[in-house]
Parts: sequence; C-alpha cells; structure tokens
Amino acid sequence: MAAPMSSVGKPSAERSPFNNTSFQKKTRSKLISIPGTRPSVQNGQLLVSTGVTSLDYLLGGGLAVGTVLLIEEDRYDSYSRMILKYFLAEGVVCRHELYVAAAQDNPDDILQELPAPILDDVAMHKPAEQPRLSREPPDGLDAMKIAWRYQNLPKVQSQRLLSPYTHLSWHSPLCRSPDEDIRSKTALASSSRFGHYYDVSKTMEPEIRQAAKCHRFYLPEHPTQSSPPHSTMLESYSALLKSLQEVINREGFDVAAPMSNSRNILRIGLHSLGSALWGDDLCCHDNPKNGRALTTFLYGLRALLRSSLSVAVVTLPSHLIQDRALMGSITRLCDNAIALESFKGSERETNPLYKDYHDTHVHTSSALRLGLGCGWRQGSPLAGQAVSARLIHVRQVPHLNCLASKLPDHKDLAFKLKRKQFSIEKNRVKAVRPGNSLNIPGRAQLLQREIGQRVMVHKMDTCRGFVHQGYMMRTLALIMVAPPCVYR
Amino acid sequence: MLPELLQGVDTGGLLVIQDSASYSGRHLLQSFINAALNREEAVHVLGFEVSEEELKDGLRGSPVQRLHFHNAYTDPLGWTDHPAFTVHQFCLGELTRLVKQTSHSKPAILVIDSLSWILRHVSTPDVCRTLQQLRKGGAVRSIIGLLHADMHQRGTVGSVCHSATSVITVEPAMRGDEAVAKITKRSKSGKVIQDEEIFRIKDDLTVLVQSKSSKGAKKADSEEQETDPTANLTFNLRLSDTEREAKQKLALPFVFSKEKKTALLHSGPGSGRIHYEPDANDDYDQEDPDDDLDV
Repeated sequence: MAAPMSSVGKPSAERSPFNNTSFQKKTRSKLISIPGTRPSVQNGQLLVSTGVTSLDYLLGGGLAVGTVLLIEEDRYDSYSRMILKYFLAEGVVCRHELYVAAAQDNPDDILQELPAPILDDVAMHKPAEQPRLSREPPDGLDAMKIAWRYQNLPKVQSQRLLSPYTHLSWHSPLCRSPDEDIRSKTALASSSRFGHYYDVSKTMEPEIRQAAKCHRFYLPEHPTQSSPPHSTMLESYSALLKSLQEVINREGFDVAAPMSNSRNILRIGLHSLGSALWGDDLCCHDNPKNGRALTTFLYGLRALLRSSLSVAVVTLPSHLIQDRALMGSITRLCDNAIALESFKGSERETNPLYKDYHDTHVHTSSALRLGLGCGWRQGSPLAGQAVSARLIHVRQVPHLNCLASKLPDHKDLAFKLKRKQFSIEKNRVKAVRPGNSLNIPGRAQLLQREIGQRVMVHKMDTCRGFVHQGYMMRTLALIMVAPPCVYR
Repeated sequence: MLPELLQGVDTGGLLVIQDSASYSGRHLLQSFINAALNREEAVHVLGFEVSEEELKDGLRGSPVQRLHFHNAYTDPLGWTDHPAFTVHQFCLGELTRLVKQTSHSKPAILVIDSLSWILRHVSTPDVCRTLQQLRKGGAVRSIIGLLHADMHQRGTVGSVCHSATSVITVEPAMRGDEAVAKITKRSKSGKVIQDEEIFRIKDDLTVLVQSKSSKGAKKADSEEQETDPTANLTFNLRLSDTEREAKQKLALPFVFSKEKKTALLHSGPGSGRIHYEPDANDDYDQEDPDDDLDV
C-alpha cells in the first residue's frame, strides 16, 4: 500500500509522527508517544535507538528506556567514542535532551564532533520551506539528463544499509503500523523514524546541534568536596550522581512527575568512567583501594534511571582493569554490555599465529561442519585464522520484566566503521584453497573428494563389518590419486 | 616517525617514553631535550633520578642557557629543612609557579625524569590529573616524561599512557648500539598511527633512524594500472575535441527543453504521479557487488 507521495512535497512543518495517513490506530491505553521511541517487540518496553542500527538489533531492537549500556573501550578509545557520538547524535536528531559527562575532554568538544545525519529531506529544525517541487534543481549532480522525471524524488535509502537483521525485527504484528512499511523504505521526516544514518566524515551542523538541549558535566570544573568518611563512593562520582539527579528533577524526566503532554527522553553519555582522571584507581592498581566506588556509582545510576525517562551509555577502559572479578561485577551491574576489540594494540596483533594472516586467509567452514576435522581446528598452524580487524563481543543482554531474553544468534561478531554506516556482522570467513605448499592444481576439489571418500569408506566399513586395515590404507591411497568412479 | 616527534610534540601533548631495565630511555630523552634546545625553546627539567651535573654532562654541546633544571635529586622527600623540590610539590599550582618564574614569552616544555619516581610516592590518579591539568593550562606547552615500565603494575602504566598523545617504547635491538622504538601516536582527530623503527643515537645526541622493521608501515596496495581501452586498436575509438563538442550538442529525441521539463514536472491534479518503491535490486552494496560473500 503506497503512502501518498504528496507528503514528501509538503513543507516540513511540525508534523505529528502518526499523521502521515488518515488511518488512526485504535488504542485504549494512553501511551505517551515520544518521538524517537517505539515499543519493543519482545517485552513491550519503550525502546530508544542507539544511533547504530546494527547495534540496535544486537541489543534486541534498541535500548530500553531506563537502562544502562556499558561499552568496554577498545585500546585507544576510537570506536567506543564513535558509538557514544552516534548515541548523542541520535538524541539530537530525535530531539531528546542530552547529558554529557567527561573527565578527560571537555563535553563541548565531544558535542562538536557529532557526525552529521544523512537526511533526505531537509532537517526538521529549519523553518518551513518552499515545496521542493517548485525549486529548480541546480545544474550538476541533481539535474538528470535522461531520467529527469525522477530528479525531484527523494533519494531512496537502500535496504542494504538497514542491516540485514533490522528488518527482521520489524516483521511482527505487534509493532506494525500501516505506515511502518513506507517508513522503513523511504525517508520521511526524521523524527518519526527509529534509527538514522550518519556520515562520519562530516560533523553535525551547529544549528541542528544547538536546537537540542545539552547538559554538561566536566569534572575539572567541579571542585572536589570531601566526601563523608564512610561513603564508598568517590567525590567525583557522587558529584556526578548529584548533578544527574538535579537535572532529572528539574527538567521533569522523573516518572513520578505530573504527566504532561510532552514527555521527552534524557540521553546520558558518560565518557571513560573509571579511568584515573575520575580519581578512581580501579584502572591503576591490581588491588584497588576503592574498588567498590564504581560499582556503587553504577548501582545508584541504575536506580536513578529506573525511575526516570532516561537512557545511559557508559564507556569504560576495561583493558586497564586487571581484576577480572571486579570487571565481572561491573558488567552485571549494567543492563547491556558490549566490548569492542580493535586489533591495534590488542594481543592478537603480536601473536605469531596471526602474524602472517591477512583478512582473507581462513579455514573452510564446511570442513568443520562435517565434523571430520581434517586438522584444521583453530590453533593449528595450517589453518588460516579468520582475522577480521575489529571484533565486538556481547557480554550481557538485559533481563527486563522477563525470564529469558533474546540472545544474539551469532557470538562471533565483527564490526566495521564505514563512512555512512557502522555495521556489525558475522565474522565472515571466505573459503580459500588450503595447503599453500602444494601447487597441484585442483587440490581443493581433490580434498573435497577425499572428504567425500572418507565418508563413503566409513559407510562401507560399517556395511561390510570387517575390513582389513592394510586394505583400507591401500584403498585410501587409491582414492587420493584416482578419480572416484574407478573405485566404484 | 621518530624524527617527526623530535621536531616537536604538539601543543598540549604528553609524550611518554617507556623503557625497561634492558635498555635505558634516558639517551632518547636527552635527544629530545637537545632537539628542543636547538629549536630555541625553553626546557624545564624535573630531575628526580639524575643530578644536574650528570644531565648537563650528557648535553655537552647543546645550548644550555634555556635549560632550567629543578633539582629534585638531592632531597626529593623533603627530609632536610630546605629542600629544593620535593615530590609532593608535583601539583598544578607549584609547577605553574616554577615554570613561570623564569619568564619566557613562549610556554615551555616540561621534561620529567622520571615519572616512575613520582608514581611511587604520589597516587596514580593524582599524577594523571596533574598531568592533565598541566596540559590544559597555558604555562606548559608540552610534557615529555620517562616511565620505567617494569617498575609498575600494568594498570598504572596503562593509565598513564591512556591519556598520553604519543608513547614510545624502547627496547634493545640485535646490534649493541641500536634500539627498537615502538611508537604509538594519537592525533586529535582520534586516528592512531603505530610504527616501529630501529634507531641509533649518535654522540651529538641526534637520532639516526636505521630502518623500519618489517611490522612497520604496511605498504598500501598499489593501484592497478588503469589500462586505456582505446589504445592498441586497429581502429580509432578516440574523440577529438571538435567531435566531442558536436556530440554534446546533439539534441536527442525525447530530450525536452528546460521549460517543457519543468512544466511536466509540476504535474497537475489529473496527471500521473511517480510512486517509487524500492525492491531487492536497489540493495546495491559496493563492497559486495555480486552478493556472494556470505558463507
């Protein structure tokens, strides 16, 4: 069912997200409709996009409002910072409020580096414009010579950009609305869509960014007051928690606050928590003195979030934390947890097993599937290892109002930061010919045949009952050299 | 990359030289001091591990007028009544005052020899915070510190290097007078460059980079030579300029003038409209054009 395309040409004035068609869904419950959120398919929680659509799928459709996402930083904090920026940029585009706290860099610097959203129609914050159809397309890229009838249509989002997983989670009768179909395919007003795309090579324009309300917490600006001697939390963390509480109460994000028509979500980004610059020696020593400061803070943060309409993303330099038990408790205190591993600086780079292998040398997965294990198990020097440059691990999925939660299908995931997309996909293996030392042509086919023959011999073995050992060896030798039809 | 770092550390940068018992990084540190002095920059040295005479002895031949040595060697813990510089004075206020005392127009470079000594007596978070404040404040242009990696726990070394812009790890190389330097440099845009070089320090404290080791910069795959398809043919496929002009000017059928195009584009209420619904063929993935990479 095609939505009327005239909606594209309309001036982009404030538009309620549900008025693209005249169809009104009959709902009994007074659900507050907040832009940029949607109910979850699995457990009915209100979900918010992280800004990275493939990460949304990994987390079960998005981040539930009131939860914490923990990102274990990669070695040089490049990709975790990128995800934090995606998260904040998504907040700007969905018109949520932002709260950024950092100890190392000024939050203003982080906010200035937000990636530019890829919007097909003009940004919704700009005032109403002339309808697009009347505007002359500039000469150049827009003016088409042959297909000029199409030149005023908006550019279509390729579905490939939507991760192959995302559209699967949408195929559910629970969350389908008639214009959802169109929404997933063509680009309409951005605030009504869930999950947007960003161009990493450009930064967000200041007008769009300033339209969003941002609260900042820069630790050096807050003088350290002495904390009471019995508290297990550090002054920096308690100051942060106090500031957060104050913002939530003042701006009305508290769930207990009187219900007004317009509710909004607060997106909290905490950069590099637990590092030495927060005053925490968690990352510095093997047996930290105040090892429980961060865990207490996370507990308080989660309590604060559960009673308000906010979402938090926390990045943590976990590669510096030596105490694995502490790391485990930190992971369990957050609802979602992912870990990024970039080979730059990780141990795999120095491992001699991985040294000679570039991205394409891999083991054939088919051999493993047959279970014959032709000596190509991982760790064997003959087996090429699937060396993808960057790995992502899911450490924890949330259990929210449910007994069991949806785990990701694949545990072995890799991510790639492309210009217009941060994609998370299976760690791909590409089959190559094994045994580089032998140059016999058609070795792969021979090997496949050998595998096949082994199965056949085994079958024969069981059929005949007793086969002499030497006879087996001779037949095997024959198989390897001669084509199989001879044997049959 | 070592020569570039010697040219100058960026403003607000922290360079950490990590060494170990097998190879001392002090020579490299002296090379950095020498290079900075030659560039006519003021250098303040906090000497915890070497005395002033020893340092100046090593810097023979360099212009030492702009070198200011703060003696933390004789009495670093303040046991006597009048200590010159104690380790507890390692905080923002004291250091700024110290650097500003010798007033120069340009901000100075602070060299710390060594950070390990300070880390033994001051807690790591405080050291990291002081370094961060020094970098952000205007008194010091950049900081170069020597860190003995085998003296501390991994977390401590990691924390200090976490906020550093460049880290050089020196190790002994095969030959006696050479050393291997593993360099990690973080630029402001977040890009991380890693390099590994074999270097040798000459007598006049200049650094000679012998070679890059094999794990160093990977050569980018050279682009395939674009073959000109119109070459080596028995017939002429090329166009001269006049021919190209004529080709552009040719009016194709069904190519309307601009007015007619715009008239047609503004479709009236009765005429047809274009509804485009993307289908599977629109999913063109540039990295996987044949759509066959999934196993």
